[in-house]
Amino acid sequence: MSSFLAMLIANIKMSLRNRQAMFWNLAFPALFIVLFGAIWGNSNFSSFDVGVVQADSELHTQILAALHGSDSFAVHEGTLEEELAALENNDRTVVIAFPTEAGAAITLYSADRPGDVSTEIAISATRSVLMSVLGATMGTPIDEIHIEALNTTFIDWFMPGIIAMSLMNTGIIGISTAFVAFREKGILRRIKVTPFPLWKFLVARVLGAMIVGLLSTFVLIGLSKLLFDAQVRGNWLLIIGVIILVSTCMLSIGAAIAAVARNVETAAGMANLITFPMMFLSGVFFPLSTMPDWMRPIMAVMPLKYGVNALREPMLYGHGIGAIWTDLLILIAISVVAILVAVRMFRWDSTDK
Amino acid sequence: MSNAPIIQLTNVTKRYGDEIAVNGIDLEVQPGEIFGILGPNGAGKTTTLEMIEGLRAPDSGTITVAGFNAVRQVDEVRKIIGVQLQSTSLFPYLSANEIMELFGHFYGIGNPKQRAAELLASVDLSAKAGNRVDQLSGGQQQRLSIALALVNSPVVSFLDEPTTGLDPHARRSLWQTVLDVRASGTTVVLTTHYMDEANVLCDRIAIMDGGRIIACDTPEALIRALPQDAVVKATTQMPVGWTHTDLASLPGATSATIDTTDSGSLIAIGSADVQATIVALLGLAERDEIRLTDLASTSATLEDVFLSLTGRSYGEDEITAEVTA
Repeated sequence: MSSFLAMLIANIKMSLRNRQAMFWNLAFPALFIVLFGAIWGNSNFSSFDVGVVQADSELHTQILAALHGSDSFAVHEGTLEEELAALENNDRTVVIAFPTEAGAAITLYSADRPGDVSTEIAISATRSVLMSVLGATMGTPIDEIHIEALNTTFIDWFMPGIIAMSLMNTGIIGISTAFVAFREKGILRRIKVTPFPLWKFLVARVLGAMIVGLLSTFVLIGLSKLLFDAQVRGNWLLIIGVIILVSTCMLSIGAAIAAVARNVETAAGMANLITFPMMFLSGVFFPLSTMPDWMRPIMAVMPLKYGVNALREPMLYGHGIGAIWTDLLILIAISVVAILVAVRMFRWDSTDK
Repeated sequence: MSNAPIIQLTNVTKRYGDEIAVNGIDLEVQPGEIFGILGPNGAGKTTTLEMIEGLRAPDSGTITVAGFNAVRQVDEVRKIIGVQLQSTSLFPYLSANEIMELFGHFYGIGNPKQRAAELLASVDLSAKAGNRVDQLSGGQQQRLSIALALVNSPVVSFLDEPTTGLDPHARRSLWQTVLDVRASGTTVVLTTHYMDEANVLCDRIAIMDGGRIIACDTPEALIRALPQDAVVKATTQMPVGWTHTDLASLPGATSATIDTTDSGSLIAIGSADVQATIVALLGLAERDEIRLTDLASTSATLEDVFLSLTGRSYGEDEITAEVTA
C-alpha cells in the first residue's frame, strides 16, 4: 500500500471515529430532515401561489386587487412565459391569463394533477374570486388548461439545502479546527521529520474529509428518500460534480481559517462566526424570495447561498448546468481565493519562531 | 575514539529575531553512544536538536548526520533518523497499532504490521496495541512515541525530554527502554533537564546554557573535574547575615551559596575538605549564636557541575523557568 493511501485511510477512520465532527456532518442535518420532513414532508410545497400574467386592462386591475385582498393567495406577476415556467416547476398552483380581445375567455392554467386536493382547492378558490369580480362586469367565460408540472414536495426543496449545510460543516468546522489542532499538538512537526511530505499529509486530510462529506450526503439523500419519498430529478453526474465543488469550496475556506487562526479556540470561533449566519441566510431553511430586500446584499456574500442554489436547481427541478453556471463560477472563485490564502499563510509550527 | 562521528556540528548559530538561541556551538556524537544534551529551559537544547533533525536550518555553521548535510540532504537525513518530539504528538482517534503501521508506510518498510507488533512488544505495550492514544497513560504514550521513533530502524534516534512529566516508576521503566534501544545498535541523542537522568543514562553529556555548550564529557569526568569532593548543606531557623563570600572563605570551601528568606537561610558550600569545612561552619554558628538544622554532606553531582560552571544553582533556574512558562 502506498504511504498516501495509508494516510488517506487513516484520515477517514479518524473522521468517522470523531463523534463531535460526525454530529455536525451527519446527525445535525439528519435531525433537521426528520423534524422538518415529519411536519411538512409530503405537503405540496407551493400550494397557493397564484401567477397573474401582466395585462393592461380594467379587469386585470380588479382581479389583482381582489386576489391581494385575500390572505389565501401569494400573488406573483410576470409574463405568460415566466409564469408558465414557474407553474412547471411547481412554484405556482394556478396562473391566470387575460384575453387580448374583449369578450374572449380568461384562461386558468394549473398542473395536470387530477384528484390532487391542494390543486383542486386552489383552482376553486381562484374561480370564486374570478366569479365575484366577473359577476360585476358580465359574463366573461373562463377556460381551464391543465399542463404537465413537477410534483415537488417540501422535502425535495429542503434536502439540497441541508446537504449543502452538511458539506459546509464538514468543510469549515471540521478542517479548520483539525488543522490547527495538528499544528498545536506538534503532529505537523512530527510528520515533517519523516520522509512523508507534509503537503501530501494535508492533501490526504482534505481528501479524507471530502470522502466523509460525500458519504454523509448519500446517507442524507437515502434518509430523505426512505422516510419521505424525496425525489432527485437532475443528472446524477452533474449533481455529484456540484457536491464535490461545494465540498471543495467549504474545505478551502476551512483551510484558510486554519492558516490564519493562531489556536484551536480562535479557529472554532471564526468557523462558527462564518457558518452560523450562512446557515440562515443562504436559503437552507427559507426561500430567499421571502427575505426582506435590505438583506439581499448580505445574502449575496454568503458562499453557501451559491452552493444551495447550485444543488437545488438540478436536484429539485432537474435543471442542467446552464441554470447554475454563475453559481459554479462563484464557488470556483471562492475556492481559488481561499486556497491562495491557506497556502500563503500556512505555518507548520505553532510557535512564533 | 577511532570511529568517525555520526553527528557533527561545526560553529552552528541560530537566531530568532534578536534573540540568539544557539551561539556558535561545536559538537560531535560517536556511533553507538547515548549522548545527552543537558541544561535549563531556554538553554537551546531543543533548537539544537531541531537543527540536527532538519526541522530548522542554522543561520551559520554546518551540520552533518551520517555524512549527509542536514540542510541540503535533508530528505536523506529523514530516512535514517527516528525522532521523538518533546510533546507527545500523536494522532487522535487511532490505536497504537494503527499509528505504528501508518508510520511504517511513511518509511516504506517491508511488513509494517509485523514491525508494529515487534516494536510494541519491545516497549511493553502489546497489551495496549488496540487502545486509542487517549486511553493510554502518560508513560505509555511516551513509550509509544519512542517506539514510533524506531519504526525505520534508524541510525540515530532523537529523544527530546522523554521522561518529562512521568512518575518515578515510569521514568525508570523508560530508562530501560532507552538502554535497550542503544543495545540494538542505534545511537541515541537525548535532551533532559533532569541531572540524575543524564548521570544514569548517558555515556557523554553536553551541558548547555544561554545557547552555548559550557562543558562536554562523560558525567564522571565532569564531576571529577570539580574543585570540591562534596557539598555541605545546612539550614538555619532564623535569617542570618552571612554572605556567600564569608562562607566560601571557610577552610576547605571552594564555592558557596546562601538563600535567605524570612523563615531562615539555606546554605550550600562546595568543599574539598569536608571535615575542616564542617568544623569551621559550626564555629561560625557558635560565635553568632545561630542554631543550625539539617546539617548534611553529600557527594558532588552534575548539579554542582552546573553551579560551578555558571555560578547559578540549577534548581533556581527551573523554578523561574516554570513560573515564566
